[in-house]
Amino acid sequence: MRKLLSVLLALCLLGSLLVPFAVAEDQEPITLTYFYGAPGDQPNPDNKIYKMIEDEFGIKFEFEFLAGDLDETLGLKLQDEVYPDLFDGGNSAETLIDAGALINLLDYVNPEDTPNLWAHIEPEKNRIITHDDELDEDVMYIIPNYGLGEGEQIVNSVGGPAFFIQKQVLAWDNYPTIKTLDEYFDLIERFIAANPTNPDGVPYVGFDILTEDWRRFCMINPVQHLMGRPNDGEVLVDVNKDDYPTETFINQPYAKPYYKKLNEEFHKGIISPDTFVMSYDQYIAQLSSGIVLGMFDQAWDFGDATNALLTDKKYENTYVALGLVYDEDDVPAEDMPEGWTIEEHYVNGSLPNLDRGAGISVTCKYPERIIAMWEKLLSPEWAMIMNWGIEGEDYSIEDGRLTMTPEQFANTTDMEWRKSNRAYAIWDSSPKRQGYIMEGDLAGNCWEPGNQPENVFGLMNDYDKDFLSHYGFSKFGDFVNPPIELAPYGEAWQINKDPINKDYQDFLNIQDTQLPQVIMAPEGEFDAKWDAFVEAINPSCEVYSNFMHEEILKLVAAYYGE
Amino acid sequence: MTNASYQNQKVRKHYDVAFPIVNTVILILLMFVTLYPVINTVAYSFNDGTDALKAGIGLWPRVFSTKSYESILSDPAVYQAAWISASKTVIITVLNLFWTSMLAYTLTRKEYVLRKVITTMMVLTMYVNAGLIPNYLLISRTLHLRNTYWVYIIPTMFSCFNMVVLRTYIAGLPEALVESARIDGAGDIRIFWQIIFPLCKPVLATVALFVAVGSWNSWFDTHLYNASKTELHSLQYLLKMKLATTNQSANAANASVEALTSSAASKTTPVTIRCAITVVSTVPILVVYPFLQKYFVTGMVLGSVKG
Amino acid sequence: MTNYTQGTARYVSPKKKGFFQKLASQWQLALMSVPIFLYVLLFNYFPMWGWRNAFLDYSSKKLVARGITPYIGFDNFKWLFSRQDFLLSIRNTLAMSLINLVFGTVSAIVLAVLLNEVRQKMFKRTVQTITYLPHFLSMVIIVAMAQNIFASNGPVNDLLGLLGIQPVFWLGEGKHFWWLVGIINVWKEVGWGTIIYISAMTAIDPALYEAASIDGAGRFQKILHVTLPGIKSTFVILLIMNIGHLMEAGFEIQYLLGNGLTAEFSRTIDVFVLEYGTSQMDFGVATAAGIFKSVVAIILLLGANFISRRLGEDTLV
Repeated sequence: MRKLLSVLLALCLLGSLLVPFAVAEDQEPITLTYFYGAPGDQPNPDNKIYKMIEDEFGIKFEFEFLAGDLDETLGLKLQDEVYPDLFDGGNSAETLIDAGALINLLDYVNPEDTPNLWAHIEPEKNRIITHDDELDEDVMYIIPNYGLGEGEQIVNSVGGPAFFIQKQVLAWDNYPTIKTLDEYFDLIERFIAANPTNPDGVPYVGFDILTEDWRRFCMINPVQHLMGRPNDGEVLVDVNKDDYPTETFINQPYAKPYYKKLNEEFHKGIISPDTFVMSYDQYIAQLSSGIVLGMFDQAWDFGDATNALLTDKKYENTYVALGLVYDEDDVPAEDMPEGWTIEEHYVNGSLPNLDRGAGISVTCKYPERIIAMWEKLLSPEWAMIMNWGIEGEDYSIEDGRLTMTPEQFANTTDMEWRKSNRAYAIWDSSPKRQGYIMEGDLAGNCWEPGNQPENVFGLMNDYDKDFLSHYGFSKFGDFVNPPIELAPYGEAWQINKDPINKDYQDFLNIQDTQLPQVIMAPEGEFDAKWDAFVEAINPSCEVYSNFMHEEILKLVAAYYGE
Repeated sequence: MTNASYQNQKVRKHYDVAFPIVNTVILILLMFVTLYPVINTVAYSFNDGTDALKAGIGLWPRVFSTKSYESILSDPAVYQAAWISASKTVIITVLNLFWTSMLAYTLTRKEYVLRKVITTMMVLTMYVNAGLIPNYLLISRTLHLRNTYWVYIIPTMFSCFNMVVLRTYIAGLPEALVESARIDGAGDIRIFWQIIFPLCKPVLATVALFVAVGSWNSWFDTHLYNASKTELHSLQYLLKMKLATTNQSANAANASVEALTSSAASKTTPVTIRCAITVVSTVPILVVYPFLQKYFVTGMVLGSVKG
Repeated sequence: MTNYTQGTARYVSPKKKGFFQKLASQWQLALMSVPIFLYVLLFNYFPMWGWRNAFLDYSSKKLVARGITPYIGFDNFKWLFSRQDFLLSIRNTLAMSLINLVFGTVSAIVLAVLLNEVRQKMFKRTVQTITYLPHFLSMVIIVAMAQNIFASNGPVNDLLGLLGIQPVFWLGEGKHFWWLVGIINVWKEVGWGTIIYISAMTAIDPALYEAASIDGAGRFQKILHVTLPGIKSTFVILLIMNIGHLMEAGFEIQYLLGNGLTAEFSRTIDVFVLEYGTSQMDFGVATAAGIFKSVVAIILLLGANFISRRLGEDTLV
């Protein structure tokens, strides 16, 4: 009896020990190593958001930010097989997936256990979840870190590619509507003829073409947009045909009119030869000085210059994004792809940032803890903490609207401030709420401060307000057509070109070396230079086009669940 | 004295008078040419970041600001990193001088039977490179130096180039020094430490400068082996990271547009940060240099031997 | 002969002794050199197994990531030499490193000699300190300045304009590229390059200068007959070493200063390897190019060494 009692007692003791232990294991403090595939600042030790994360989830992070070359760094980590717990491969995350360094998140993510995560990916699950034929199972290694917005797509301004023009040029001509290449260059020519220099006596530059390294897209990408397609990188896809004909556009007859136009502008002095030897820093310097009247670029690529102009209050020198397309008589009918019609579409439907963000490595011991954290970060309260910060400190709520003072809003982009007040690295590479808040007291507000109309328009300067009023627009996004529906394959530039890398490198090198020569061709030699260029680039274009067509067909099939 | 040689003498006298003047003028011009980029860099580093984007700054800041320095020096991690950098630089320099000079001496001894094979093998290391991965695996997997302070020291204790520099110098010293010591019964270790090593001061100062600058400026070792250990970050690595972060709006090319437009604005810009970083990392070298420079005096060495 | 004692034999007829006996008698020298020799074997030669990568197929990132790299013999080498632009990159590399070698060496020696002639100590130190400073500026900074100086409307063309010469498109014409690289490198490194020669000059016996003065030698004679011979062995050794480095022209300056218009003249071996090898994680191609560079380097090095020996000068090996 005594024996039995003591056994029972022992069991009770054991039980009482076990129960709290089991709970504790769930929240046992852990430190996770985190590789972030881009440069970044180590957060300050007193960072308030990381402190909240530690309190809530019992997780601390040891970050490694990228300092050298991404591919080289990933290559070494894979060779060494020493993986961080959380592994964000940046723009080369495919390498991690190919190497089998990441776990399949579908083992943990499902409608029952992780309702928030599931709801987050559900609308785009055909793109996000793929089928691995070798394993014969559905796989999802990375939850896209951007582009899964809720509600209507927000287009306050053009953030991507466009032909840009200084606001003063449009104002000078009494706010015309510019839709074609001819109108665009004609306006710049007339403006420069009337105003050869700025008020300080510095000559204006008519049109800049940036070519430095990967920023060559400023020279190469315009043709697809002139043909009426949003950004597919270097190929033109006919989305209206069932078999999605795909071809590189740079070697096509319909590309020629654009470069012919540039050649003419070169001889008129609108384009200077210096543009082809310009470094990115020099380009930004020119733009920041307010002497460049127009260029093709993507808005984020010259954000620094815009900042500089705003700081100097040179509002008239900031830029408007125009959606130019070919006029019907720009391209001879026989040069057009079969059955092609041109309609302006610079802005595409919202695009999930596939295979970008953090994955969980196969050597991580706590995948459940990370999934649980991500799940919770998508809850409304944590989404607000990650996106807006702490109420009262970083923002306030007035009449159901989220508001920030100008200082608070400026903080959100201040890197020094972020080190103490934002969990930026986690925010950047984890799944997050974007777009509009659809439910609850705050419905109708934006998940991100940068999109909240009060922040965007409340701080708009008077010049811009006046400028827009001449067009009867409420925002700069109104200069282009509303977003087109995203093609089933997404955007073709996302396709990983590794398998044809050497041909792709040839493709780039030939453009780099020969296209500037084409644009600067002496009068009468343009056609010969153009033909030589097309001949040189054709072989790599063929490999590239075929490869992209196959990949696009695969993506389309996957999208429709075939 | 013939007329011609008198003439020669006279011409030579003219040269001797004119030479210092011409020489001074040339050197002053050269100083301007080499000083310009340095002052320009300092001017940029003290300029407002956004304003500096417009370029065109000469020898003086256009809009004065210490923001770039604040952003570097306000980070408490900088001081820990500076300590790591300084300590590893001192240790590596001392070890290098020790190993390298000792080896260089043995390779000047013509009677040494291993001279040929060691010399050849050493020299070839300057021209063959196994590549990044095998080197990385050696240090990381075989030697387990990852995430340790030792990874800064152990792989860089020796440099062949500096060995050759030292060897050339030692070979130029009078052989009689060694011979007479040997007759006195001194072994090679004593000859080296008591006679040769002290005579090598100028070239040791040179090698110390090369090694110290190389070690002080290296960031790749931290990047490869100690990136996740913040307490072991070196100063150059930290500064490089600072620059990379400031550049990030450009690096994030493929991220979505929403993220980019919201992160485009930053108070410091790569243009000024890059210059401030250069100044911060060069000043310590400038401070140390004069101490080494005093050894670069012609004739000092042999004068002391003979005197 | 048989009468020689053990002790004298060591100095009189060392050839008679076996290798190990000699080594034993030189244990002090061995103690001072063998440990560091073993160190070099470990850190520089042990990783050489990596050269086998040159014979493996790394072209598919997907397969490489899974650890599949089939043996393909000399295909990587064949591919390299089938590329017109790789052959061009060899030409560019040799041209630029040769220009750097000549300009760099000559300018460093001239400056070292000029500095050596300065009697005023403070002035000498100031010049020395200032001229070596650009070495510490990053290539990015120096190239950005050069791009402004050589711009179409930059100071160089302004100067030419004053002389009535048409502006030159320095940065956009390939034929100028190698020389621009040479000028920039001299600008950046001339002061730094003098340090080694100045330290060599410290070993010159002051008595030689005195003797030359007594013989009535002027400054030029002293430079010619005392200073230059005094740094000759340093010069020869550095020259041999640098000839071995002719295959290394780097990639940073070319990458920063080059553009599409000058690519035909700016692409070096290292740039080519970066574009078609390393950046695509094709370690096969990268290693093959590395082996090729090493082999050529060793041939150049031994050739230079041989010629130097024939001329009775110092040798590296």
